[in-house]
Amino acid sequence: MRVLLVQDSTGHSTGYHVVARALRDAGIEVVLGGALLPGQIARLAVEEGADAIGYRIMDAAPAILVERLAEALAAAGLADIAVVVGGIVPREDLGRLAALGVARVFQPGATFAQIADGFRALGGAAAARRASRP
Amino acid sequence: MYDPKVIAGIARAQAAYESRVREILAEAGIPAASTQSGLPLKTLYTPADVGDLDYRRDLGFPGELPFTRGVQPTGYQTKEWTRRQVVGIGTAEETNARLRYLMSQGQTGFSVCGMGYANYDSDSEHAWGFVGRGGVWIDTLADIETLLDGIDMRAVSVNQIGSSIPVFAMILAVAEARGIAPGELRGTIQNWAEPGGLGPARRGNGSVDILEFCARHMPRWNSASVSVRNTRDQGCTAPQEVAFGCFLGAYSLAAAVGRGLDAERVAARLSFFLSAENDFLEEVAKYRAMRRLWARLVRERFEVTDPRSCALRFHVQTSAINLTRQQPLNNIVRAALHALAAALGGAQSMSVNSFDEVLATPTRAAATLSLRTQQIIAFESGVTRVVDPLGGSFCVEALTGQIEEAAAALLGKLEALPDRDAFDFMEELTRDEAYRRQQAIDRGQVKVVGVNCFTDWPDDDADQPRIEPLRYDPGWRDKQIGRLEEARRRRDPARASLARARLEGAYRARENIVSPMIEAVKAYLSIGEIARAREAALGEPFRPTTWNFGR
Repeated sequence: MRVLLVQDSTGHSTGYHVVARALRDAGIEVVLGGALLPGQIARLAVEEGADAIGYRIMDAAPAILVERLAEALAAAGLADIAVVVGGIVPREDLGRLAALGVARVFQPGATFAQIADGFRALGGAAAARRASRP
Repeated sequence: MYDPKVIAGIARAQAAYESRVREILAEAGIPAASTQSGLPLKTLYTPADVGDLDYRRDLGFPGELPFTRGVQPTGYQTKEWTRRQVVGIGTAEETNARLRYLMSQGQTGFSVCGMGYANYDSDSEHAWGFVGRGGVWIDTLADIETLLDGIDMRAVSVNQIGSSIPVFAMILAVAEARGIAPGELRGTIQNWAEPGGLGPARRGNGSVDILEFCARHMPRWNSASVSVRNTRDQGCTAPQEVAFGCFLGAYSLAAAVGRGLDAERVAARLSFFLSAENDFLEEVAKYRAMRRLWARLVRERFEVTDPRSCALRFHVQTSAINLTRQQPLNNIVRAALHALAAALGGAQSMSVNSFDEVLATPTRAAATLSLRTQQIIAFESGVTRVVDPLGGSFCVEALTGQIEEAAAALLGKLEALPDRDAFDFMEELTRDEAYRRQQAIDRGQVKVVGVNCFTDWPDDDADQPRIEPLRYDPGWRDKQIGRLEEARRRRDPARASLARARLEGAYRARENIVSPMIEAVKAYLSIGEIARAREAALGEPFRPTTWNFGR
């Protein structure tokens, strides 16, 4: 599977790079998008034909950015692409992220294996969805 | 330091003891120990482990070369470390209120994060979701005026986190409006030279501009606070932190000399920003090792004769990478141990991370607790009465030597590379270590209480102490945009466009940018406008790099 990893800023990016390497070591293809605005993320997801987006958010408000990303993805025809959020998400935002369609949220304490398994499961679901399309 | 005959006797007895220890450990299936950074550790240290130390040459006295034991002859007896909790929340109004509160509670330094990290204004789409979260948001001089309102710039040393030149210029502009000359100001800017060649090629390099401006006009200001704390917090080891810091410090000094500045003068105003992590003994040894390595490096390479210019002075912000989201109150204990290591290591200034910083920007109560942690160590623990009290411990002296040796070897490797490659290599090493750290935690090789052991305390357990992290106010963005619009409305448009033209000209001519920047911010040009002016003048798109925005 092909995962597009992006982040909200260039700072605090240890987790971003560490997770990228863990996914690669787990045999998942990773495209590093860097720090991008939601509209740029959607465009890149289309260009790269990504199966899932991993969005590291450490500096900005997750609910605000994910809402914008969901709008941009819908406009780009990618409304059903899996979005996974990583970082420190305030508890009060978790419900909002789920409502916006975020498939998984990985917070500090998640292991490499949990993150890789999480993406793989989503990749399987994406493949099944593609196969069922006429 | 010791009689060789006595040392030889101890060494023989020690060899017998160590072989017994090896047997016991092998029987029990316990592997050889190492420090958090992977340096080999013995079960016990004796004089034979430090037998080749020359006391006067390698340790000396506090306030004297090679400064292993500290930079002040009297340690904390005459000069306490500065209590400098990092603050940065919401707009300048919220941050100013928090700062003033902490100062009323005993904080003695100013340190604000978030200032000029983004090269965009609060009304830009780039600011969506960011305003007031990762520190304070600054658009114009009006924000720095509010930030410093009621704070005596003559009495407090001002630390600028990040090296935004617009923000630096704003601080100088506020001082000027209060009748304080740059030469009177005490403070620090996080700064170091970046790759870019020496000599004329360095013209137009913002980090060297800061070094030059400070060397010429601000004798009491630390023109380069070389930050390796954030690199350490990105994963690197203690010897790497020391090596990277010395590399960046020497590189900055060489860049300043290349600009025609006096090494002695610049070195006297070079300081460091270090971390404090879990491995207590290794951390204490780290500060000592770095003081010794730095002093010898500056003296030998730059032929600096004034010992004060060889003294390594540093601020510590305790580790964040070691704090856990699980069972957050445990972080109080961790941060206290980190801070104690910094105090025993002779830090000049300190910020203790708050236990709830793993969840959000600290609440006021949590930030106050961090300040109290510093005060308890300073006034109750008694460790401040003796200088370098762990000096002379066979173990700490041996570790000091091991760290210095490992760091010196790595420094040599870095300096043998072309400068850009050296910077890339530091990043690569740091990412490797970050990866290894997480692997070790996942595998349980490194124990993290509440994360991979002693985890029986689910987040929703009613017995778990209730933590209420700070809630971000979505109204901060509107408030900040209002402040920006008001500043734009009130400014003199002719003066603003003149200042912009002057700034663009200075960028194109590759002049030292600090003075034209002061004029630009005094005309209330915003940071976004300044960044666009720079892009227009240099034809380079804005390329964000961590912590050094605003160049």
